[in-house]
Amino acid sequence: MKADVRIDRILFEEGADDYELASLILKRLNRVPVEKIIPDTPRQGSDSLNMGKETLRLVPFKGEFFKPCPGTKRYICCGYQILNVGTNCPMDCSYCILQAYFNQPSLRIFVNLEQELGRIGRILDEHPERIFRLGTGEFTDSLALDHIAGWSNILPGFFKGRKNAVLEFKTKTDRVEGLLSSPYRDRVIVSWSLNSPDIASREEHGAPSIRKRLQAAKRCMDEGYAIGFHFDPLILHPKWKDGYMRTIEMMDRYIDPERIIWISLGCLRYVPALKPVIRKRHPGTHILDGEFIHGLDGKMRYFKPIRIEVYAFMREQIEKWRNNSGLYLCMESDEVWTKSLGWSPERTEGLSNYLDRRVREFFTN
Amino acid sequence: MDFRRFTASVPTLIDLNDIDDSPGQYCMSFGFDIKPLINSIEAFGLINIPFVTRNGDGLMDIVAGYRRVMALKSLKRDKIPCIDFSDSGLSTLELLNFSLHDNLPTRTFNNVEKGMILNRLNPYVSKRALRGDYMPLLKISSSRDLDILMKIEGFTKPNKETIAGGKISLKTIGLILELDKHSRPAVFQMINDLRFNFNQQLTFIEYIVDISIKEEVPVPELLDEDQLKGVSHDRKLNTPQKAKKMLDLLRTRRFPFLTGKEKGFNKKIARLDLPKNVRIEHPPFFETVDYRLEINFRTGKELKKTVDILARIEGLDKIEDSSKKDL
Repeated sequence: MKADVRIDRILFEEGADDYELASLILKRLNRVPVEKIIPDTPRQGSDSLNMGKETLRLVPFKGEFFKPCPGTKRYICCGYQILNVGTNCPMDCSYCILQAYFNQPSLRIFVNLEQELGRIGRILDEHPERIFRLGTGEFTDSLALDHIAGWSNILPGFFKGRKNAVLEFKTKTDRVEGLLSSPYRDRVIVSWSLNSPDIASREEHGAPSIRKRLQAAKRCMDEGYAIGFHFDPLILHPKWKDGYMRTIEMMDRYIDPERIIWISLGCLRYVPALKPVIRKRHPGTHILDGEFIHGLDGKMRYFKPIRIEVYAFMREQIEKWRNNSGLYLCMESDEVWTKSLGWSPERTEGLSNYLDRRVREFFTN
Repeated sequence: MDFRRFTASVPTLIDLNDIDDSPGQYCMSFGFDIKPLINSIEAFGLINIPFVTRNGDGLMDIVAGYRRVMALKSLKRDKIPCIDFSDSGLSTLELLNFSLHDNLPTRTFNNVEKGMILNRLNPYVSKRALRGDYMPLLKISSSRDLDILMKIEGFTKPNKETIAGGKISLKTIGLILELDKHSRPAVFQMINDLRFNFNQQLTFIEYIVDISIKEEVPVPELLDEDQLKGVSHDRKLNTPQKAKKMLDLLRTRRFPFLTGKEKGFNKKIARLDLPKNVRIEHPPFFETVDYRLEINFRTGKELKKTVDILARIEGLDKIEDSSKKDL
């Protein structure tokens, strides 16, 4: 993975030179040709299959840096907050939702992040009674471009000592050098997206193996970081039970379960518009073979009894390893929670409270 | 370019044998019924004369009036009056625009014709002009549609006739174009045979592509299976029934678990022998927990009677939780 991020071209948007992060990135990539451009309008009607992953765009972002995860009332959401530091990702997972956004190609780093932190800090300070769980891994991988963007250098210091917030770096990579060299551990969670080894090798193109991810997790754990895992998307495939068990066995080999703040489970779901894109970009994939139905949020998801079976199996295997691992479901109904995990937070507030409690238990100071 | 000086010029009598039969580079007609035009020419003569220009083979290409020339050839006429553009100095693009505007006010183009027009213009105009100037003229709503239209000329003549007849939607054509070349004729054939409506066409293609990938069976092989072929040959069914049966078969194969649950539920409800004014439905895809009971009634008395009957129906309490594997 570390050698795999190839940047052939930098597009430097007008206004980016006002920010120090932009100059730092140009220094880090001093051999890459730079082209100054005016902010682009979204590509109209393009059906190009190339997402421009070799192009890095430095953007003075004018949108929202901080916003709630777009949940839906019909399913229970974890109440996560997105810290929007960039978009797109050098890896090329066949199921990735970002493929549906062809009008926003290329890797994008928001160079005015540091300037926005003050505003975000004020929002956090206005609600000392709340716990804000923020993460940068929604629209990009949190660490895949860390050696270029230096997020692990910018963000942990900002969260240190904030009693009502935690920052989660969510990644599929083993690029943890930045984090390991950071002096801060407080209020920072490093989490890995996991899958069965088969899915990881066949569908998560450009991502390190599960073993490498877990070895990276161990390094972070050994260096004092709180660790999280996300089995999302869980995908049915031949011998899926064996596959997911192998991953859990590997977790046992590398990870001390006491250091896990949470493990989430989420079965594959996708907006209908993504299906033709997956078919075009990944013609050999079998991830769409399952029985997908229209969910209550308009997304395609496995038929409910299948989801219950998958979650119940995962719960059983994980709980054999550790009983209190902060296991939760991503975007599922009260019924699915109850029938697969044996309890339910009933609604979004309930799940938020549960995860907030986990934060308080892990970060006691 | 002011075309009026040409259109007002004196016609030349041209031997029909000198006019190239093939739809040359200006032709914008496909899939038309020539009989009404033959009847009109027989009754009233040639009202609007064709426009032609000499091509590299020494024959005349038809710039405007392809259908009229074809009708006149059918009528075995020998010489016809034409305006000859050969020495006009007009460029190919100007002649194409002339032909386009000869057609635009009088008729709408079918999708094959739109594709022909776009392909003929393509070497002479920029992509931007094609999108900005010609898309609105041809009432093409998106760049994606434009790309699909431009690929239609690659289909076989019978397939193009189906498209020209409006029996297949542009969206479906787009999906067919995404199939490999070996699969396209088989899919076209089935759509033609079963006369799926536009929604059914999309569902049909989605099912067969999904099944083909899941079971790793090529689409032509899948559609050649006895069970599926048997549907289109089933003499007991009319065409809409065949279309429905085909989609039901494919859905069952694509969603064995879901359809199994639906069938199990329907069987169980049918066994209850509910009053005719009562219906029990499962939630869509069994995604939520609640079943739905519908009672039609005219008076409270009738409602009460229905509720009493329902309360006495044995087996009603056997309708189980919808997330159980077997209902």
